[in-house]
Amino acid sequence: MTTLLLAFLLLVVMLVLLASGAWVAICLLGVGMMAVQFFTSAPTGTTMATTIWSSSDSWALTALPLFIWMAEILYRTRMAEDMFSGLAPWLTRLPGRLMHVNILGCGIFAAVSGSSSATCATIGKMTVPELRRRGYDGRMTICTLAGSGTLGLLIPPSIMLIVYGFIAEVSIARLFIAGFVPGLMLVVMFMGYTAIWALMNPEKTPPADIQMSLGQRLWSSRRLIPVMFLILAVLGSIYAGIATPTEAATIGVVGSLVLSWVFGSLTWQNFSESVMGATRTSCMIIFIINGAAFLSIAMGFTGIPRALAEWITTLDMSVYMLLFVLTIFYVMLGCFLDGISIVVLTTGIIQPMIMAAGIDVVWYGIYIVIVVEAAQITPPVGFNLFVLQYFTGHNILYVARAALPFFFVLLAAIPILVAFPEIALYLPTTMLAR
Amino acid sequence: MRTFLDRLYRATGVLAGVFLVLIAALVLAQIVGRLFGVLVPGADVFAVYALIATSFLALAHTLRTGGHIRVALLLRGLNSTHRRYFEIWCLALGAFIACYFTWFGARMVWESVIWGERAIGLVAVPLWLPRTAIALGALVLAVSFIDELVRVWRGDPPIYGYRDAAEVAAEEEAERAADTPETASERG
Repeated sequence: MTTLLLAFLLLVVMLVLLASGAWVAICLLGVGMMAVQFFTSAPTGTTMATTIWSSSDSWALTALPLFIWMAEILYRTRMAEDMFSGLAPWLTRLPGRLMHVNILGCGIFAAVSGSSSATCATIGKMTVPELRRRGYDGRMTICTLAGSGTLGLLIPPSIMLIVYGFIAEVSIARLFIAGFVPGLMLVVMFMGYTAIWALMNPEKTPPADIQMSLGQRLWSSRRLIPVMFLILAVLGSIYAGIATPTEAATIGVVGSLVLSWVFGSLTWQNFSESVMGATRTSCMIIFIINGAAFLSIAMGFTGIPRALAEWITTLDMSVYMLLFVLTIFYVMLGCFLDGISIVVLTTGIIQPMIMAAGIDVVWYGIYIVIVVEAAQITPPVGFNLFVLQYFTGHNILYVARAALPFFFVLLAAIPILVAFPEIALYLPTTMLAR
Repeated sequence: MRTFLDRLYRATGVLAGVFLVLIAALVLAQIVGRLFGVLVPGADVFAVYALIATSFLALAHTLRTGGHIRVALLLRGLNSTHRRYFEIWCLALGAFIACYFTWFGARMVWESVIWGERAIGLVAVPLWLPRTAIALGALVLAVSFIDELVRVWRGDPPIYGYRDAAEVAAEEEAERAADTPETASERG
């Protein structure tokens, strides 16, 4: 019982530190120091240094900055414009018409980018003015973008899955394979919602303004070839088992640089900006990961995760009940914290709990990413909301309200994933069994 | 002093960027080498060490550009006097932890020098090499925390402003988006 009391005390300290505005990584290190210093007999400073060293000395993490860099390079090319002109002719007959470009565009870009706000920004910077000019409903434009942008987290490559895989010690290639079908499922659900919405509000969709023959449509699709080529090179090499995620990321970086050169956007300024942008983002993420690595070792010393896992077992909750409670907990956290902080903060503590409940760790990785996706579009803190706020000029509450339907679509995906775990687990079990 | 510090943050930041490019170069060398049946000795070990250098050397630069994530919800709601107090608290905590980590990071470097610790693998790299990058990055971070602490203590706003990392990212995106029409017309 005293261990649980200590857990509660440390949780309060953590929340107070976070609320006071201290940087997330600093909070993690601070709480870790406190736990080791006052509640264990281990030497604090030495433990901190050696833990951070062994967490950094990891091959798996090298994929992280490379995937971030790849997206930074592609962001500075005209790939998004090409995707619009390649996709639009095919989607103009669907109910909801070009609204679907947001969803499919984000879905496709997510397969070369690992981050949600990068996906949202890359597609949004081009579709927001296009759709507005054609008279599409502003709220629904925001909704489709905010929601579909989060696909960047789930559809591999995914920064979030790398971070989760690293912390939970699960194979990143396995997680990447598992994320694919749930990602497709979300694309279908998003498109389905949009189509139903369009059928119910016919006056809000402008008439089709693209008239093209099949030949013309096929010809305009040639502009999708570069991105398809990149997806094939990056994901194909991982799925075929011929490259590790890091190697695939390197192939992706080289491919993006080549594309950028072909597009004529490979200037020294673009190159150095992409490098520095990627350096800052990966520095921020790895700093948090290091803080979390130390905190979870500290937690392990105090015995909190084990005590929590035992306590949960004594409650005799069903797996469904546990997941229900956890989902509510994550959505609440998601209002105040960004996705990466949520994953690193909770995984170390919750993993023993879910393993005790008999939940598959790969499945749990997909589950937590979908919950975090929902968190990306909940106010007051949601990366995608911030991005769209700047693109559309509406305030954050308006953007958040507009995005609400897709928030519920994301939440609706969770019971489906719970009922049919094969959605996430079929591919990794069959592909890796060969 | 001011110019020296600014150069220090900038130099470590740029160095971090160079190491990022180096990771890609090393992994690429390994892939190409494998295609031709040549083993590039130690490429994976060096790639990991380059990652360590990137992550730690960029710490101060990332802090100053507002890249580190924080929950700025409360800070933004406060008036400037109270916000200053909170900022001083955050910076003092950051400075304390960064100094503490620098000290033990440096001790770890020193221990790997006297014990002659080396990496396990084809190329036995001495471990003090990557560990120095950790200690150095932590040191520059500590310096920049203290630097900002002094600035805010004197009553000036911190260099990174009171923004969420997400807002910084979004602003950058918006700036870039504003640039796009020009670049498009250049191309056309």
